Amino acid sequence: MAQPKISVYRFMAAGCNGCDVQILECLVPRYKLADLGVGVVFTPEEANVLAVTGGVNIKTMEELKSIYEKLQPPKLVVAVGNCALTKEIFDKGYSMVGPPDKIIPVNFYISGCPPRPQAIVTSIAKALGAKLEEKEDYWATPEEYRGRHEFDSEKCIGCGACAQVCSSDAIELTENNGKRTVKVDYGHCSYCAFCQDECPEDAIKLTREYHLVFTDRKQASVTTDVDMQKCSSCGAYFMPQRQLKRALERTEEKVAEYKRYHDYLKETIGVCLSCRRKISNIKKAKQLLSRLSVTALQK
Amino acid sequence: MPEIVQIGPFRPQLVEPEKFTLTVENNKIIDADIELGYVHRGIEKLFTTKTYLQNLALAERICGICSGIHTLAYAQTTEGVIDVQVPDRARYLRTIYMEIERLHSHYLWFGVLAHSLHDTEAFLKIMGEREKVQDLLEFLTGNRMNYLINTIGGVRRDLNEKKIQRIRSVLKDMKPLSDHIMTLLDDNGRFTKKTKGVGILRKERALAVGAVGPVLRGSGIKSDARKDDPYAAYGELDWEVITEKDCDVRAKSLVRARETYESMKMINQAIDNLPKGDIVGELGDPLVTESIGRVEAPRGELFYYIKSNGTNIPERVKVRTPSFANDFTIIEMMRGDYLQNARLIIESIDPCFACTDRVTIINAKTGKKRLAKLE
Repeated sequence: MAQPKISVYRFMAAGCNGCDVQILECLVPRYKLADLGVGVVFTPEEANVLAVTGGVNIKTMEELKSIYEKLQPPKLVVAVGNCALTKEIFDKGYSMVGPPDKIIPVNFYISGCPPRPQAIVTSIAKALGAKLEEKEDYWATPEEYRGRHEFDSEKCIGCGACAQVCSSDAIELTENNGKRTVKVDYGHCSYCAFCQDECPEDAIKLTREYHLVFTDRKQASVTTDVDMQKCSSCGAYFMPQRQLKRALERTEEKVAEYKRYHDYLKETIGVCLSCRRKISNIKKAKQLLSRLSVTALQK
Repeated sequence: MPEIVQIGPFRPQLVEPEKFTLTVENNKIIDADIELGYVHRGIEKLFTTKTYLQNLALAERICGICSGIHTLAYAQTTEGVIDVQVPDRARYLRTIYMEIERLHSHYLWFGVLAHSLHDTEAFLKIMGEREKVQDLLEFLTGNRMNYLINTIGGVRRDLNEKKIQRIRSVLKDMKPLSDHIMTLLDDNGRFTKKTKGVGILRKERALAVGAVGPVLRGSGIKSDARKDDPYAAYGELDWEVITEKDCDVRAKSLVRARETYESMKMINQAIDNLPKGDIVGELGDPLVTESIGRVEAPRGELFYYIKSNGTNIPERVKVRTPSFANDFTIIEMMRGDYLQNARLIIESIDPCFACTDRVTIINAKTGKKRLAKLE
């Protein structure tokens, strides 16, 4: 047997072992890893590539450093799975000191929870400059696969329900220059699809894309922007325009009689939270409330 | 003179890290020691920082191999805290998904067993065929490992005609693999030679050290949470608890091999009798109460405890995983056995250290090395 061009040493640093099993599955003949000249070795001294899984805890940190020292050149390090990218759901765990790139230099990042073996094999092929045939049906993901996220920027109202329900704090809302940015860091995502389930507008979708390989883990994100509404009283941005519009539409959908007070309703909800406490605004709100309750009585 | 032999913590032959310190005299193991904590992630603390729904994703990531059963155990325990009625269809679907998971877990274990017996041919065959189960799970749930199919009050995805047909065809394909494994384990099989008489765990010792799952059933004790305390649809299906009398590694392997047939039987029955209706029940508010739940994971009994304070975040979640219970049987089995069998014995309990290291109260704090000392 010829000496493999790439010899991989796998190191598990506090993950759930899902990624480790995926790496084990890569050895199955159908992925043709051996054809690429890739072999798995059992000591770090023989290896020139280190595959790290997991977010590194206190106990594995020293070991990770010493194993990196022992690697043969070119000393490539591949972080497999989202725990190795950002610690994912274990981010706030008290024993976690990673991610690995805080401790040793990392060359490639493969996102996924866990990444498909197909993704691992293709990324290795890509690094080697080899071509893989992806003809067989198992390369394609099934219809309901939960892969990388995609925003429908037309539909998103910027309400932030996705950020609230996210199980691993992967979704972030930032406001700048009259725009709210919803950012999904899918290197931090556990691909649970709670965001997709909870989105009131079906604006966020998990696509079937799984080839998620980077050389910089900050690249692993998708964003969308929504325009913010200015407060009619103080002029500060306080809420996305579309969210206000939807709120109004929903109110009127629920109680058809309220349509008569469309303009009053619009004026009242167009005031930011701090301005609502002002005397003049309270007055207006009270007037509206009495009108609405009269309508309810008439009904 | 006794020597000290250290296995691990980082040995790629073992899927996960754990340190074993063996005392060996004349190639015979006279004592063994386990050190855990290499996969400790502080999950029980994290449980109390997320909502009940978000915790499903966290429970799943305790272990990547038996991930589905963790969400089921968590969901069932949470259903004791939150007022909800699980629909009949959901109970059957849970059974189907979890038995498919048991298939993939048991086949993976046979792959690892072949690997530790240096039987590359069997390893490639088992792992290659097993891919079909993995593809099926991916097709049904949307992910290969962390399916997140169970939710509080039901399941997240329904079965349609296309999916049912795919399940049936994969089960048909898997039967020859189970048959193949059975021939490897019969009286003249390749696995039998190396596993017979290795790692003996006597019935009374198995009970004394608190073994669970296939390890316990391999020592001749009929214990299975699916039968003793039926959940999901297990009480309504016709199946048997598998036991073996020989107490060695071969007996444990046979239990797992025969269980794959039972799983297939259960899946087919559940599909045939699948009730119609909703797949998830209406959720009530969390009560101020405590709840426990237990299920049979592929590796044995899995136990959850949840304390609720009425908010949407649990106050305490405690998990006892099967690998933690079985870990101490390793010491028991190693004593008196030969050093060359050490790895086989470790693999024989189907260890999942990612599970185990969540519960360890690490003695690293006190600098104390010994975690478990029997007798």
